[in-house]
Parts: sequence; C-alpha cells; structure tokens
Amino acid sequence: MHSKRTSIAAIFLAGAVMLSACSTAATPNTTSANSSASGSIQINGAGATFPQPVYAAWTYAYQYVDPSVAVNYQGIGSGGGKKAIIDGTVDFAGSDSLLTADEYTSGKDLQMIPILAGAVVPIYNLTLGSGAPTTPLILNGVLLAGIYNGTLTMWNDPAIVALNPDLASFLPAEKITAVHRSDGSGTTELFTKALTSFSPTWTAGGAASVEWPVDAAGNGIGGKGNPGVAAAVQNTPNSIGYVELSYALSNKIAYASMINKAGALVVANGASIESAMSDFANTFTDKLTNTIVDAPGKGSWPIAGYTYLVLHTTSTTDCVKTQKLLEYVRWSLTDSGAAKLATDLGYSVLPTSVQGMVLDTLGKVTCNGAAVPQ
Amino acid sequence: MQKTIYQPGKKNGIVRKIETITKHGDRIWLGLNFSMGVVIIVLMVLIGILLWNQSAASRQEFGLSFISPFARATWNPVNGTFNAWPFIYGTLITSLVAILIAVPLSLGIAIFLFELCPAWLRTPLSLLVELLSAIPSVVYGLWGIFVFLPVVIAPLGKFLGNALGNLPLLGILFIGPISASGSSRLAAGVILAIMITPTIAAVSRDVFMAIPNSQREASLALGATRWETISKVLLPYGVSGILGAVILGLGRALGETMAVTMVIGNSISNSGSLLKAGYTMSSVIANEFAEAVSALHSQALIEVALILFLMTLVLNIIARLLVWRVSRKSSSEVRA
Repeated sequence: MHSKRTSIAAIFLAGAVMLSACSTAATPNTTSANSSASGSIQINGAGATFPQPVYAAWTYAYQYVDPSVAVNYQGIGSGGGKKAIIDGTVDFAGSDSLLTADEYTSGKDLQMIPILAGAVVPIYNLTLGSGAPTTPLILNGVLLAGIYNGTLTMWNDPAIVALNPDLASFLPAEKITAVHRSDGSGTTELFTKALTSFSPTWTAGGAASVEWPVDAAGNGIGGKGNPGVAAAVQNTPNSIGYVELSYALSNKIAYASMINKAGALVVANGASIESAMSDFANTFTDKLTNTIVDAPGKGSWPIAGYTYLVLHTTSTTDCVKTQKLLEYVRWSLTDSGAAKLATDLGYSVLPTSVQGMVLDTLGKVTCNGAAVPQ
Repeated sequence: MQKTIYQPGKKNGIVRKIETITKHGDRIWLGLNFSMGVVIIVLMVLIGILLWNQSAASRQEFGLSFISPFARATWNPVNGTFNAWPFIYGTLITSLVAILIAVPLSLGIAIFLFELCPAWLRTPLSLLVELLSAIPSVVYGLWGIFVFLPVVIAPLGKFLGNALGNLPLLGILFIGPISASGSSRLAAGVILAIMITPTIAAVSRDVFMAIPNSQREASLALGATRWETISKVLLPYGVSGILGAVILGLGRALGETMAVTMVIGNSISNSGSLLKAGYTMSSVIANEFAEAVSALHSQALIEVALILFLMTLVLNIIARLLVWRVSRKSSSEVRA
C-alpha cells in the first residue's frame, strides 16, 4: 500500500514537471515581449480577412518596435469587425466594407481610415490536361458577372474561349462551380460592387452579404473567410472563386488576369493597384472612403479596393491605450519596414496625398475631451 | 468508560448547539438538490423567452411566410426579405439521412458487442466505439473535406445520381450530378451518421446488458436460434431503451454545426436533391450571426434559432411519448 501511494505521487510529480516544461517552451515570443515591460498594454482589433496577412506581419513586427504594447488582430470578416467596434468589444476594427448610415448612428463617433489597398483576384481550379499552356486564364468583367449570375455555366463556353484562344482545345466541357463567401465580407462587397459596375445584368447589389443567383441555379458553394474560399476552390475541381491577392500568392493558387475597362490586359500586382488608386485620387468622400473598382486607366486592376481601420474618435476613455493605438497606426502608415512587409505580400501602400489626409484625421482624435499626445 | 458512551438524555451545551444547527442538514441538502433541478427548467424557459422576444420584429414582418415552403426561397440581407425554409429542409433531411444510416449500423454494433463478440475483443472494441464519440466535430469536418468527400462521397454521389436520378418519386432526392467537391446534403448526412453512431451504439449496448439473462436463456431453451432470440425476444424487450438512444442521437444530429458547415456547401439552392449543396439552420446562424449588423437580419437569425429550439423540443417530446407508449406495450407483452 505504501509503495502504491509513493508511485502515484511520483507519477503526479513527473506529470507536473513535464507540463510546466511544455508551457514555458511553447510561447517564447509573447513571454519575452511581455516580460520586458511590466503590465504590457493589450490592444485588440478584429475584422476583415482581406488585410489579415499584413496585419499579422505588422502585429508581430510591432512587438519589437514597442515591447510595451501587444496588438492582437482576429480575422472574423468585415461585418464582424464593424459589429465588434459598434458594440465596443474591440479597440479598432478592420473593414473593407463601408459603414452604412445606420452603423454610423449606432457607433456614434466612428471614423474609417484607409490603410492599404489590395486586389481581389478570381482564382480557379481547372484540370486542363497535359500539353496545355501554363499562362493564366484571361477573363473580363462581363464573364465574371455571367458566372456569378448562373447564366454562364460551362468552362468551354464560346465567350471564355474567345478570350483564351490558345486554351480552346483544353477547356473542359464541365460545369463551373462558383465559390463565394458564406459570411459577411468586405471582399464580397468589393467584388459585387465591381460586378455591378461591370454589367447591368448583375442585380443582386454590391454589399457585404448578398443573395447569389448562382446558388439558386445550383452551382454555388459558400466558404467561410478568404481562407475558406481558397480551400474550397483548391478542393473542388473546375471551380472559380474570388480572394484577396495575397491568399492566391501564398497558397500558390492560379489566378486569372483580366481585361479592364480600357480594354487592356492587366495582371493583379502592386503597379495595377496603384494605377487604380491614382485614377480615383480625387473622389474621396468626406468620410475618407473611396471606391476604386472598374478603374478607367490602362494599367488599372478592375477589382481593387482600399481596406480601412475603424476607430472611435471622441469616446475613448483609456488615454494611454488610445495614444499607443494611434502610434501603432502611424507606424504602419509611415514606417518603411511596415511598407515593405505590405508590398511583399501583394498589397499597395497609400500614395502620399492620401497618407497626408489620414495623418491629419488621426491628429483630430480626442480622448476624454483632450487631444491625444503624439 | 461510562463517560464516553453517548447518552441522549444528557447533553452539554456545545453538543446541543451543534445539534440544533445540523438537524436541518437533510432538509438543506434536499433543498439544494431540488433547486439544481429547477435551475435546468428555469434556464430552458429563459432561453425560450429570450429567443421569442429578440425575434419579435422578424416574426411580425414575415409571419408564417418565414417558414413556408411555398414562399419564394430567398435569404436576402440587402433587401431585407428572409425565408428560412431552405434551412429547415436542410436540417430535417440531413438528420433523416443520418438516422436512417446510423440506427441499423448502431444496432448491429450493439448486438455484435453484446451477443457475438469474442470476450477478448469486447473491451477494446467498446472502447474504440466510445472514443469515436469523443472526436471533436471540427476534426470530422476537416477529415470530411480532405479525405471522405473526394474518396467516398463524390463517387457514391455519381453512382446514386445515375442509378436513382430518374426514378419517379425518389428521383427528386437524387437529381445529380453531385457537386464537384462532393459538398452536399448527402455528405453532411453521412458524416452526421458517423458522429451519432457511437452514442446510439453505446446506449443500446447498455440496454442489452440490462436485459435479464433469464429471458435469453428461456428463449434458447425453447429452441429458438440466436437470430430469433435477438429479434423476437431481446429487441422487443429493449425497444424503449433503444428508442431513447435514437432520440439522443437525433438531438445531436439536429444541432450539429461545425462538421455540417464544412461539408454541406453553404448554398441556398432551389433544388431539394441530396446531391446538391445545401444549408442547415445551425450553419446559417454560425456563418452569419457574428456579422449581422442590420437589426432585421439579426432578428431573422434569432427566429431561425427559435425554430430550431422549438423543433428539437417538439421532436424530443414526441419521441419521449413514443417511448412511454412502447414500454407500456412491451412490458405487458412480456407479462402475458
């Protein structure tokens, strides 16, 4: 009996030692970042998955810029982010979807500030057979609208073949499965706004959550978040979907080039996004928002868009946190290292004129009635 | 020695004080237990009231057309028109498919474990079956997407679409072709079946173990074969318990969210076919609730939650009544 008790105690002791070793080994970064300053400030953000790859890189890098601050961002969709900032559960929200009048009223003192611009690209999964050319598929706005309307149903439709003559014999006679977002999404809002501009046949509107005609036709599938759509396209043969450019690049999924409004063939990259931004340089609203889809320039990507942060401007009470949050936002806008992280992932930073506007607006944020020290 | 014997007549002050406090111990204990039971009922009633109140605007706006299969199947957050029939249909059909597959499978497992299994295999196999129910739902979903759907469901769907798609009535359920990745109501139903089988099997096996050995022995003594013993004596005796197990499984299937969301395709289509992508009530709430900012959209989703809540409640009550009726019948049969 005595030996049984000691052996049980020994097992517990060994287990406790092993568990404690596991926990200290598992999180080296956060413990080192936190232990260098007592009581680190936690800033929470949530929202769009569109800019999530960049925000993840920035929040990681910012630990080394200012170890007393820990910024944390969760990608739950633009709709979730907007709801969270209105409810007050986060300090800042990420959203590509513009706030509606009702949301401005419920949120009381919300301000959207553009941070980056990105591109939404059509990704596809096509089995073309051996000997097929490896150049990307070429699509245009009218075709995309037709696919998501459920009217263009086959991959070897003459309209697609007309744009891709060297793939004529390789395009399969299979139905197109169109993947869309199942959650409320700013990426969807950008994409559907572009579709509305491309073709009058698209009548479902341009919003974060729409009723997809391709669903009613039986060829639609919904995925959750940009990663969900990317995964659904990868797992579904003969499918097409839309995601932010960095998801296509990092998952190495084939994405289409498009023929834009000027009739030129463009590839989604930093230059074509910048061209779209400069086409609409003077159309910012007084709420600092701008829509840059279907840009008329020769080198412009047709489905580009700004992504925004949503902040409270006058109602914050924790002034240290507000100051640290604004420092983080200014760092992300002006620091060259941050800019490189963004451009490496396929996004574009704001042009100087827009950056100036944003920094001015940040200077007007108050906390408890007083201006926030810079 | 005399002093240490407890003499009830004679008590000193401290003992008497302790007694006045502790003599109510039983009542306090019973009271605590009673209140625990009441808490469960109160919680359920509160959930029902909350769901009812929070969906008021949506109920007023749409009335019965919200659940009508004849109204246009639309779920449009932009226009603010909502009809939940596609989700109700999705939940019902996937749970039906799950039950149809899981019940014979689980009964077979339970009978095998109880009757036919060699003794050395019984314990490890029971353990494995119970382990299946411990696998998290999201793991089932992942396994479904990457392994089960392409390897099993896609070919199965193709076969069913070709074989049954043209039949007069049943064919409506099997209009193909199956969606390219295999994401379909059929996939959701089969994965649900795999998830609820361990529950039903474990409870059924316990039901069989609880049947007195005398019944089995009497039946075998009268010359019945093994199969006749199982089908004519053991199954009728245990049918109320098995029905209870099926209710448990059905309850899980109705509410299962993660695994279903990952394999059903999340698509509101006009077709009722098992081979097409669909949507269930729990999936739409999981997908859309966090971002439903417009009041009508959130209320419509809460109304969907209310319908799910009431559906589960009603199905459980019907099943419970069935169990009582059957157990009354079967026990009287045994007595006769």
